[in-house]
Amino acid sequence: MKRGLAILAVLVVVASVATAAPLRIFMNPKFTGLSYFQRCALGAGDAAKLLGVQFTYTGSEQPDVQLQVQALENIVSQKADAIICSAIDLNASAPPLRTARSKGIKVVTYDADSAVDSRDFFCNQMDYESAARAELDCALLDSPEGGEIAFIAATPTSPNHMAHFNIASQLVKTDPKYKSLKIVALQFDNDDEAQSVQVATNLMQAFPKLKVIISSATPTVPGACRAIEELGKQGQVFATGVALPSTIKQYLKDGSQKAFFIWDPYWLGYMSMYVAKDAVDGTLKAVPGSKVDCGKAGQFVVGKDGEIVYGKALFFTPENIDQYNF
Amino acid sequence: MKDTFVGDLLKPKALGNPTAMRQTFAEYRWEFVIAVMLVLAAVWATTLSPYYLSLDQLLFSSRNLVFTGIMTLGLAFIILTGEMDLSLPSILAVCTVSLAKASQANLPLPVALAGITVIALMMSAFNGFLVAKLRLPALPVTLGTMGAYRGVAFIIGSNVGYTGFNNTYKWLGTATVGTSPLPVMLLVLVGCVAIFWVLMHYTTFGRRCFAIGNNSAAVTYSGINVARTKIGTYMLGGLTAAMGAWIFIGQFGSSRGDNANGVLLGMITAVVLGGVDINGGRGKVLGVLLSMLFIWTLRNGMGLANIAGPIEQLIIGVLLVTGVLVSNLTTRGNWRPRTRKKVIAGPSAP
Amino acid sequence: MIANTNSALARRISTTLSRNTLRLRVFSVLLSLAAMLAVFALTTTNFLTLQNLKVIAFNASLLTMVACGESIVVITRNLDVSVGSIIGFSGFITAMFAAAHPHAGPLIIVVAVGIGFVLGLVNGTIVAYGRVPSIVATLGTLSIFRGFTYIVGKGVELPSSYLPRWMTNGAEATVLGVPFVVLVALLVVLAMAFISRRFPIMRRVYAVGSNPGAAVFYGLRANRVVLFAYAACGALVGFAAFFYISRVGTISVILGHDWELMALASVVLGGVATTGGSGSIIGVLFGALMLSTIDNGLVLAHAQEYWRMFIQGFAIVGAIALDAGIERRIMAIFRNQRV
Repeated sequence: MKRGLAILAVLVVVASVATAAPLRIFMNPKFTGLSYFQRCALGAGDAAKLLGVQFTYTGSEQPDVQLQVQALENIVSQKADAIICSAIDLNASAPPLRTARSKGIKVVTYDADSAVDSRDFFCNQMDYESAARAELDCALLDSPEGGEIAFIAATPTSPNHMAHFNIASQLVKTDPKYKSLKIVALQFDNDDEAQSVQVATNLMQAFPKLKVIISSATPTVPGACRAIEELGKQGQVFATGVALPSTIKQYLKDGSQKAFFIWDPYWLGYMSMYVAKDAVDGTLKAVPGSKVDCGKAGQFVVGKDGEIVYGKALFFTPENIDQYNF
Repeated sequence: MKDTFVGDLLKPKALGNPTAMRQTFAEYRWEFVIAVMLVLAAVWATTLSPYYLSLDQLLFSSRNLVFTGIMTLGLAFIILTGEMDLSLPSILAVCTVSLAKASQANLPLPVALAGITVIALMMSAFNGFLVAKLRLPALPVTLGTMGAYRGVAFIIGSNVGYTGFNNTYKWLGTATVGTSPLPVMLLVLVGCVAIFWVLMHYTTFGRRCFAIGNNSAAVTYSGINVARTKIGTYMLGGLTAAMGAWIFIGQFGSSRGDNANGVLLGMITAVVLGGVDINGGRGKVLGVLLSMLFIWTLRNGMGLANIAGPIEQLIIGVLLVTGVLVSNLTTRGNWRPRTRKKVIAGPSAP
Repeated sequence: MIANTNSALARRISTTLSRNTLRLRVFSVLLSLAAMLAVFALTTTNFLTLQNLKVIAFNASLLTMVACGESIVVITRNLDVSVGSIIGFSGFITAMFAAAHPHAGPLIIVVAVGIGFVLGLVNGTIVAYGRVPSIVATLGTLSIFRGFTYIVGKGVELPSSYLPRWMTNGAEATVLGVPFVVLVALLVVLAMAFISRRFPIMRRVYAVGSNPGAAVFYGLRANRVVLFAYAACGALVGFAAFFYISRVGTISVILGHDWELMALASVVLGGVATTGGSGSIIGVLFGALMLSTIDNGLVLAHAQEYWRMFIQGFAIVGAIALDAGIERRIMAIFRNQRV
């Protein structure tokens, strides 16, 4: 009798766990309208379907810190299980994430990190040094004899852009491979493509000997290509950096540009969903060396401070651009 | 202006007197409508999201009401006199980045607060000077100073985003009453509402503002210094911006040149929906308070339902336009000149 | 005695002044523009190069078109702060249309202008017939139009590769070395000047702005004139939006935001008084050129871009103060003349 009751109790518990409400995971990008973030959301959404997670993609449509803070606070009030966030500002976007963690919500950042104590894990698309090297390598591809180069970032506090710039500045001084390159300027365009056209034009005017414009921001690179086209400086000035293939395909085809790179945002989003779910389930701890299986995205290892690097960069040249359709 | 106040309702005489009660209700017709809409909005918000109706959530999200609400009260006073000030959010931004500089220099909090008060008063007094003394049209002039002060905010703060405030600076924006979830800044808002209520309805300063909004020429000829009163309302607005800035940095923990960039629409909507006539001379603090709560409720509900920002803005915009349209339709009887060009010719007419 | 002997001279001066106020104002704008060009030419390198002047003209051309539209509204003593959202909505819909019908050719321009026209009509109806003050009305429609852009676009952005090639190429085309867009802007200005001279509609616009009460007594349908002003503004802004999307690349939901201040700055700098009833199109052209020059000069002087916002704002304030001062001076002269 007692054993029967015990088995019944176990069955009830198992049944309730099995039919428990699905996990609710929210994804909050810097701003919702950018194709790059929408592709991440696509990946995260597909992963969520496989994992049985209820997925919501929400945020402001402008890259404004205040609006992101309010969006995050709304997510916290909705008692999410986990938040996947790309922070506009390393420190300014952090307070609501800290509040979330204090309420037991797991926080995973992707694409752009926030303060270390405000998140559990950071899905980094490429570790900062590899990305900086990739940018400088592309610059050398564009201009083999080196020359003046300029960077455009979103804001002075965009975590990944500034990290790339700082490491690139170091490499240019220390690594003999990049000795011929000289960084002359760093400008900002707030992830706004229209503004990036203006900023790139200004750069080319202020520095007539400029050879390459580099940016880690996906809205910026096509804008810079456009500015080069407008001023008629194809072949004299090049733009390179991180860009979605669909946005720069035309420039590779018409020969005005030579090289870009990116990681597939689909898999970045996919991976971050797996990481978030494992974090909620408690199966993944932020201990360096822990392994995480992200299904079709691959298997990854947790590094320092909860950073998980995706690391699979794709380089685009006129020869291979047609293979990619995102 | 009929001299009935809510307080009259509480007098035993009025309760029994149907005429007096009818008079009071007629006087408060607009506020009654807004109160009903507030209740409807709360009901709608509850249906939008199951997370809305919880005391914790409401108190947590009431923080979004405060810094905008205080500035809205200041703006209401300015609009009451028939003028406008679009630069209040920009003044707030200058104050937040100035607080950042003060924090970097490790100045004690009272010194920093005194500093931004002076800055805000100077900037708003400049606005007042342009509008009241030079008699320039308020709208385009404050549109210009809005841009100029925003530029100043960026020049001081750039877009770097300072986040290293020490905790004394952030106190007001983060403190709660004891261990309850009631934020201290909500009490500050309540205090400001009370102060502005008294100021607008029970002081000669408030009376003068009503009079100026109705007929500033008559007020001048009756010997009152209109320019001084108007500059006073502008400086009051500047004070609210400084207060809002202090609360802002506590609430968000950071300051940047683009702080408070999108709050102007909400502020003007709250003032206009609150029954304050855009040409001046009419309005009540109660109405402004109710419409502030109304817009906050809508925003809160929509935010919890993950409705996109542009849609929220669209709804607020529709509210703004229909609010004024409805107000125009219901006051058909009182014809008031819609456009009032400042009489530049006469030396004495204001 | 002295007053008597001088009154004839004073009368002649005041008549000349009053007749030439418009020209005086435009002349002062031109003077400031020339002064600015000189300052920047001396303090920076590469300013007076043909390449740089082309860039200034290019940037000013879109602004000129939008400012021309805005100026019509300002002359009627109203404001339109929704121009940025009109650019956004018109631009987005036009881009979607162009992507779906790449061979529609000039029809795409008609779509852009048409959408702007309709949005302008909405503005005008609310302001003129709804008797809603223009700042409130256009602040509201700013959000409403932006919201519609989001709904229709479903929040996604359109890459420039969606647009037909002739549009994106046309944006950079040059005719005899002059960028095509610059020629279009000049054409717009000339067309507006021609229309003001030949057709009475602009006279009515000035009349309504100068003294709305008197205009009604004169028999003008003030409401219809204001409606026309807003509709014309919307149409011009839609026209500008067509060129803007050809140039900008990716078309996003936040397309065109922040144009309001720039448009108003050009209008006010160009001598159009916000108290209504005065101003000229040529002045607006110079105002837009001035703004573009300031921008460009600041860049070449390696100054921070935030100074631009600051200068724009203060330029508006200064221009308004200057205009008010001039108007008061003229009124004072009139009064003295009568005495």
